[in-house]
Amino acid sequence: MTLPWPRFLLPPLVLSLALLVGSMYVFLKGSFHADLGVGRLGEAFTLANYRKLFADSFYLNSLWLTVQLSAVTTLLTIVVGVPVAYVLARMRSRWGPVLLAVIVAASFVTIVIKVLGLNIIFAANGGLNRLLLELGMIAQPLTIAGKVEGVAIGLLYFTLAFIVILLYSVMLTIPRSLEEAAQNLGASRWRMHWRVILPLALPGIIASGLIGFNLCMGAFTSAALIGAGKILTLPVLIQRTVIFDTKYGMGATLAVVLLVTGLAVNLLSILLVSRLNAARGMTA
Amino acid sequence: MATPLHARSAPAAQERRSTPLFTERRVNRALAWVWVGGFFVFLLAPLAVIVAAAFGEPVHGRAVFPPPALTLRWFGAIQGEYLTTLGRSVALAAAVVVVCVALGVPAALGLVRSRWRGKAALTALFRAPVQIPAVVTGVAFLQLYYIVADATGWLGAGTWTGLLVAHVFIALPFVVGSVVAVVQRFNTSLEEAALILGASPWSTLRRVTLPAIAPGIYSGATYAFLTSFSDLPVALFLSSSDVRTFPVLLFQAMDYEFDPALLAVATIIIAASFVAMLLFQRWVGINALLRSGK
Repeated sequence: MTLPWPRFLLPPLVLSLALLVGSMYVFLKGSFHADLGVGRLGEAFTLANYRKLFADSFYLNSLWLTVQLSAVTTLLTIVVGVPVAYVLARMRSRWGPVLLAVIVAASFVTIVIKVLGLNIIFAANGGLNRLLLELGMIAQPLTIAGKVEGVAIGLLYFTLAFIVILLYSVMLTIPRSLEEAAQNLGASRWRMHWRVILPLALPGIIASGLIGFNLCMGAFTSAALIGAGKILTLPVLIQRTVIFDTKYGMGATLAVVLLVTGLAVNLLSILLVSRLNAARGMTA
Repeated sequence: MATPLHARSAPAAQERRSTPLFTERRVNRALAWVWVGGFFVFLLAPLAVIVAAAFGEPVHGRAVFPPPALTLRWFGAIQGEYLTTLGRSVALAAAVVVVCVALGVPAALGLVRSRWRGKAALTALFRAPVQIPAVVTGVAFLQLYYIVADATGWLGAGTWTGLLVAHVFIALPFVVGSVVAVVQRFNTSLEEAALILGASPWSTLRRVTLPAIAPGIYSGATYAFLTSFSDLPVALFLSSSDVRTFPVLLFQAMDYEFDPALLAVATIIIAASFVAMLLFQRWVGINALLRSGK
């Protein structure tokens, strides 16, 4: 069609660019200036914030904690989600679409509300804890507030529904006929899953995992609400540094490190996947 | 299912008939159902607990599950401020959808159909806000608004417009992404047919192209609405005590004395999410949401 397409693109492009460059430039520039207190920044260009960050185990621990939590949560999400996505994608009954719709609807609900529910479930005097105490399965009530495990559960709820939806789309792309072929050739169901389905789904699983990892790295809500000031992941630390300490420079430095770490992990994984694919291409 | 030949001999077949409970197929099926069932219990537990607690009496002023007795009084105790805040969040998300669709649909059409080099870079640019953690976006917009205020005297932080601009920033990639996905798949021969039959380019756009890509627009709009309505980190930086969104209200309430009436509001939101899903499935189809490749 002969409409002026580039002209369509211009207004949104200019606006997006202005907002992106405007906000990020102002903010990231701050990482190269010293904090003078009450939100003011020094004039001179300096690397002092970065030096401080890499010399201080407090900041490094927070970075390491964020990466660890994100990796573990992502792995959990994938382990839980892949079988669910596979079963739903292969389901022939009319309940399939209903179950899928339930997952999508659950992904619609904001994480703040889900954390509220988690707090009620893990309340010290709640039904779950009373039941477990009575059964003698635990000696102390299971709580999540201020605990790393609790934050991991919160992160799991942040990504799970969405990642299962992504994995479902991945599973749909694997033709059913391949499975039938494998079984007709005598493969057991388990062997078929390991040798046929999983390798085919792997690129999609890894891509979904990366999205989940990115979401976790940037996740603020569950970490802030469940961590209760004790579990300081990088996003929580950024918010505290800016709001409570009004250190915009240090906050920006932490944000740069968060962005760069996330980017580095993504690049590494993409590299790994392409190496994997190349290796498979040679053996095939 | 294929069975190896030797298994079809008479004794084996008899054995299978006498122990029908634990065939490999049945065990696998049972395992799959336990796994999927467990997943749904896990996924829905926090939501179910909120709904139950919203209809229950609290213990020592705290909501518990299971509640000791049922009551409707929390729905009656919903304060006007909660509803105002909820209304503000809905209005904000709706405005975000309108602005994002107005910007995102032309952007997507332009991205797919312009013949420029460097289109990949532009696509990456439109995606960039998704890659930035929301906390960082929140701080960055707060500072941007301070600088704009220094220059113009208009302070965006703590205003409805300020929230709108920042939410459009984080939501626009979803609309652009969804619409780009459908425009790429769209068969242009339909448009060519319309043009050959004498339709003007603009009416072809309005009457052929837009209806064809509508599912992508709807799913992008849904994601944009949710991005704004669910957002806490960005709004936390840009809210004031006068202008705050519902997630911010809930976040602040969870830090202090918790009012069980908020559970009633949360229940309304959960119910609305499921109703919205049903409506979307009926009108557009759930596949549009899955395909959009967010």
